Amino acid sequence: MAASSPPARAGRAQQVAWVLAILVALLYPLPFERSGQIYYETVGFLVLLNAMLGIGWNIIGGWAGQFDFGPSIFFAIGAYTAALLSIHFGWNAWIALVGAMVVAVVICAALTYPVTRLRGHYFAIATVAMWMIAQPIGATWRLINGSQGLFIPVAAGGSFVHGILTMEFPGRGKGLGFYYLSLLLFAGTLAGARAIERSKWGFYFRAVRDDQDGAEAIGIDSRLYKVIARCLMAAIFAAGGTLYGFWALAVFPDQVLEVNWNILPMMAAVVGGLGRLWGPVLGAIVLIPISQLMTATLGSGPLAGRGIDLIIYGAVIMLIAGWRPNGLLSLPWAEWAARVRGRAPARSAPKSPDRN
Amino acid sequence: MIIFLQAVADGLQMGLLYALVAVGLAIIWGLMEMINFAHGEFMMLGMFGAWGLSVWLGWDPLVTLIPLAVVMYGLGVLVYRLLMQKVQRGEVFTQIFATVGLFFFIQNGVVALFTSDYRFVEGSLLTRLSGANLSLGGVRIGIPLLVGGLIALGLFLLLYLLIDRTDFGLALQATAEDRDAAMLVGIRPQRMYAVAWGLGTALVAIAGVILANFFSVYPQAGLSFTVLAYAIVALGGFGSILGTLLAALVVGVVQSVTAAYLPPAFKDAFVFASYILIGLFRPQGLFGRF
Repeated sequence: MAASSPPARAGRAQQVAWVLAILVALLYPLPFERSGQIYYETVGFLVLLNAMLGIGWNIIGGWAGQFDFGPSIFFAIGAYTAALLSIHFGWNAWIALVGAMVVAVVICAALTYPVTRLRGHYFAIATVAMWMIAQPIGATWRLINGSQGLFIPVAAGGSFVHGILTMEFPGRGKGLGFYYLSLLLFAGTLAGARAIERSKWGFYFRAVRDDQDGAEAIGIDSRLYKVIARCLMAAIFAAGGTLYGFWALAVFPDQVLEVNWNILPMMAAVVGGLGRLWGPVLGAIVLIPISQLMTATLGSGPLAGRGIDLIIYGAVIMLIAGWRPNGLLSLPWAEWAARVRGRAPARSAPKSPDRN
Repeated sequence: MIIFLQAVADGLQMGLLYALVAVGLAIIWGLMEMINFAHGEFMMLGMFGAWGLSVWLGWDPLVTLIPLAVVMYGLGVLVYRLLMQKVQRGEVFTQIFATVGLFFFIQNGVVALFTSDYRFVEGSLLTRLSGANLSLGGVRIGIPLLVGGLIALGLFLLLYLLIDRTDFGLALQATAEDRDAAMLVGIRPQRMYAVAWGLGTALVAIAGVILANFFSVYPQAGLSFTVLAYAIVALGGFGSILGTLLAALVVGVVQSVTAAYLPPAFKDAFVFASYILIGLFRPQGLFGRF
């Protein structure tokens, strides 16, 4: 299931693509910073955040093949832990982020190991169950201030670099700052996932997905590796939740346990290409701007509040799903790239079958 | 003690209605293994159908039940033919993705037409009976909910007979179990899936029509029922129609007993906690075959 490019010929093209992608990612917010259109920086922030979460979800969903409908609980655990550490103990945001990831992993391991007795759909509903149980807890627990939520105070002053080091941007530069913070975390996540994909764990995950009984027959403890996969996802969601908390400067149960944090990362992975490293990235780049731009253009005016933007969004989603049920990365990109470079495409054997 | 018995009686009646919401999903998901995130939206459409016909034409929801079910059957078949049949070629997850799109589309389509206001079906046969009670040893049983529950039970049994006792039902099960083998003996799988979607959609719409008598009608009514329905089908076990009924009764009772003693926010949490707890001892649900 590697990217659909023959290695030798595509080597150079891949290098060029990498350089271009990095340049675009680094330079993207600068024109908007100049013209003061902070909104587009925020869209970029949301794309990177969801791409990062999508990569995390892809580990359990795409590689280990387990449906997880409730990852937002780890997003919430991350946001709350970091906020508590920062408010009560004055921890630096980055150290709080590490703390949040550790807490999320520990909780995830304790919650997930028992329910790995359940397989397939039964496991999936158990993850929904955890999310449903987390919601009233989040709304009533005193420690995290129930439905009143927690507010993260911002220290006054400080340079841009200071902002990056503390995730605090009291004045202007917040849009730009959080764009680069999300880019940093996204890049770290991508590099980590790339390493895992090629490691022993990565192969074990996929073995468990493809044939659980077979994997166990050769000595892979399938329950252990499901837990590891979900804990990796939990760590990434906790990091994302921390970032989101410091961006919103507040953590509310309704907000961090919102159903969108369950659905969007999964949708990004599916629309891009499930089980492919770049799938969730492509998916987030396609999905988030569509929904954001439609909300911005159709969400106001005479038809505001009538959900027109979401009707169109839903229709677009259905069209993509019906047109490309295996994700956008399953399109014959390598062939197109070859054609662009003026080379006659080698009519390769049955191109991108619908079932892979 | 009487509070407890009352809660159990209320829960059983609610459970019958939940069973009707869940059984449509038991066919589409439990039996045919296709995921439909928009299940509750079909129920919501049924509720709006009942409300609309009672307001504009003055028809009682009990009368509109049959025509609405027929229309919704057609809609279910249409959704399968136009969307899910194509989506089925890909990963299972794509079905979630596609039906999330369907969910946005239907819910916001209704918002665009009717806004998000709460609406109520007034003056229907069942709501006019709302004062009437049966009393059994101090436990009061409201007649309207009882009638609704009995309709649900009747439909449920018909469906059980259809799936477990007829050739058609066997063909459905065969398709679910092994698509290719079913084709070899002359079953057309895509037709079976289309019928399953039609049946599932019609049943959940009927549930919506009945529920419209008791609950407010609004475009966001569906999602919480969708989530509950998934838990019920999984709790009952895959492929077991009677398991779904029993699980729905369990869920109804857990909910109303919890609500009688604890803050209402935790009503669903206890349902899902009992799902996990039961799952740890019976990983295949109560009556699961696979």
